[in-house]
Amino acid sequence: MTFGFAERIARLVFLGAGLALLSGGPAAAVPIEFTDEEIARIASHGPWPPDWRGDPGNRASGNPAAIWLGQSLFFDARLSANGRVSCAACHRPRSGFQDGRLTARGLARGTRNTPGLLNVRHQRWFGWDGGHDSLWSASLRPILDPREMGGSAARGARLLKSSPSLACHYREAFGKPPSADDPDFLPNLAKAIAAWQETLVSPPTPFDRFREALADKDAAAAASYPQAARRGLRHFLGRGQCATCHAGPLFSNGEFGDIGVPFFVRPAGVDPGRQGGIKRLLSSPYNLLGAYNDDATRGNAVGTRHLRPEHRNFGEFKVPTLRNLTLTAPYMHNGSLASLRDVVRHYSELDEDRLHSDGERILKPLMLSAGEIDDLVAFLETLSPPAPPQPPLPPPGALPCPARR
Amino acid sequence: MRSPVPLSALAISALCLASTIASTHAAESKLPIFDAHIHYSHDAWDGTPPKAAIAILRKAGLKRAMVSSSSDDGTQKLYAEAPDLVVPSLRPYRKRGELSTWVRDETVIAHVEERLKKYRYAAIGEFHVYGADADLPVMRRMVQLAKQHGLWLHLHGDSDAVEHVIRQDPDARVLWAHSGFDRPEAVRAMLKKHRKLHADLAYRNDHTSGGKVDPAWREAFLEFPDRFLVGTDTFTPERWHYIVEHADWSRAWLADLPPDVAERIGWRNGETLFAAMMAGKR
Repeated sequence: MTFGFAERIARLVFLGAGLALLSGGPAAAVPIEFTDEEIARIASHGPWPPDWRGDPGNRASGNPAAIWLGQSLFFDARLSANGRVSCAACHRPRSGFQDGRLTARGLARGTRNTPGLLNVRHQRWFGWDGGHDSLWSASLRPILDPREMGGSAARGARLLKSSPSLACHYREAFGKPPSADDPDFLPNLAKAIAAWQETLVSPPTPFDRFREALADKDAAAAASYPQAARRGLRHFLGRGQCATCHAGPLFSNGEFGDIGVPFFVRPAGVDPGRQGGIKRLLSSPYNLLGAYNDDATRGNAVGTRHLRPEHRNFGEFKVPTLRNLTLTAPYMHNGSLASLRDVVRHYSELDEDRLHSDGERILKPLMLSAGEIDDLVAFLETLSPPAPPQPPLPPPGALPCPARR
Repeated sequence: MRSPVPLSALAISALCLASTIASTHAAESKLPIFDAHIHYSHDAWDGTPPKAAIAILRKAGLKRAMVSSSSDDGTQKLYAEAPDLVVPSLRPYRKRGELSTWVRDETVIAHVEERLKKYRYAAIGEFHVYGADADLPVMRRMVQLAKQHGLWLHLHGDSDAVEHVIRQDPDARVLWAHSGFDRPEAVRAMLKKHRKLHADLAYRNDHTSGGKVDPAWREAFLEFPDRFLVGTDTFTPERWHYIVEHADWSRAWLADLPPDVAERIGWRNGETLFAAMMAGKR
């Protein structure tokens, strides 16, 4: 008699549970096995990292001079109106490029939680409201926003002209000197910053190794994946239907949803979320339908061309990636949930009346037990690297120019 | 010696006056809207108190708003504040969270009967019911009470539920919330089959795109210009901040219809359907 792979995994896990009992560890007598269908669904969350071929809308994508320039600018507070706020002020490298605050704080306090930047190159829409359709245009907005950095073309040009190295790398990346009068100048700055952010990819996680072990039918390697995380993964795929939105290698379908999180903004008003984001995007001169998209085919603008705000978009926010969550608390668009346990509890106790019953309803209160909440949290924790990845630092100030190719 | 008023100041005053007249004229020339789908549930009361809520409805240029709430106290608060504007509808939910349980909870019947004795309404609803659940005792009693009090039933459900209700009372007056989220062809078929059935368009976008009316929906509106109403659906308190924008959005797509059809769908149908209530009769 031979066991199938799933059965062998189950036996190994059962053995592991027995050992845990003997050693006084947490009791877990129920073997966790995955069906072939579940294994196929688990496989859909990889491989990690996924293929990526550069951004056709950004001529600086993958350009070494632009990447160096972008990294320098990301950490340079002189881009801001008061000279004290850099991109890194909110996107802190050691925190998954998040800041740990409920809402961002640039020149003024913002209304949204700072999104992390790891793996940002794989996103389709940018920002909690998807108000941008490219990483470079999303990088330009905070530089100019008076509540964030309050910068300008003139300030940016002065900064680059004050530094031979920055100016040289700009020329190397874009084939002309920096000039505030050049309409391409601000988009080019943003394209350089985006080119650097495209390099921010997080390492494989315990989940990725488990997924690979399942794919390779390597029962021994799979056995190291914690029992609680397996139970949580099963809830994630099954009863929770979490993978409906948190799909693919990024654990996000890249779209937007209303999960019943209030979206009032103090002292009065609301954050319209995706509805406002669509309007903002369609009216922006920097969207992919505009003159600054470097993809001459405009093949990358199909999604933007078909966008129309709908009633349901009011109060919808981006389905975030679930990778690196242990680095990026607090959670939700307004930072209103402090911990992963709070997030899982939110889904467990969902207020159905806040969700419109338009068509098939995906979200239902999961009514999870305390143990089931622990399991889901344990699973989510395996989507982060066990140790924080080594954060990138500002580049040394005087790299030779032109940059090496 | 008085300083002469500079010409530039006079010019600015004249401009301001002209601008005020223009904006007043613009407000007056806006198509009135009968919003048939407003909720004012308990979690909206603190953030948007009754006076502020009514100010929003007036700012939106609503001629009238049919309001229902969980609990019904919200509706009564708004009705007391602006009886000229608010058309009360009795939602059978005593609190949030009864949306999917009410139809099997027979204590709802006594609650609805008590409210009907105490207050005046134009409708019972909006309530949620699907398929054969519309034949459960609670729903049957709602149909009886609507008949007894001459009220509309604001029903959020599928066409099957509507059929069950009309089988119970062929004269039942049903306002089909969201037009059942059904296709325009199916909505037309239902309207053709049931001459007292009316439909609201709340929370729908498929009938219009970029201010133009979808061809299939246009046929429905032109065939049944007296049977459709518009509505916002403020199902969360945040959506009170969407009423003004929704009214303007409605005006934009209605402008793509013949003016008399636009007026009927925009407000006249609501006035006609709920006229008895507004005149102070049962």
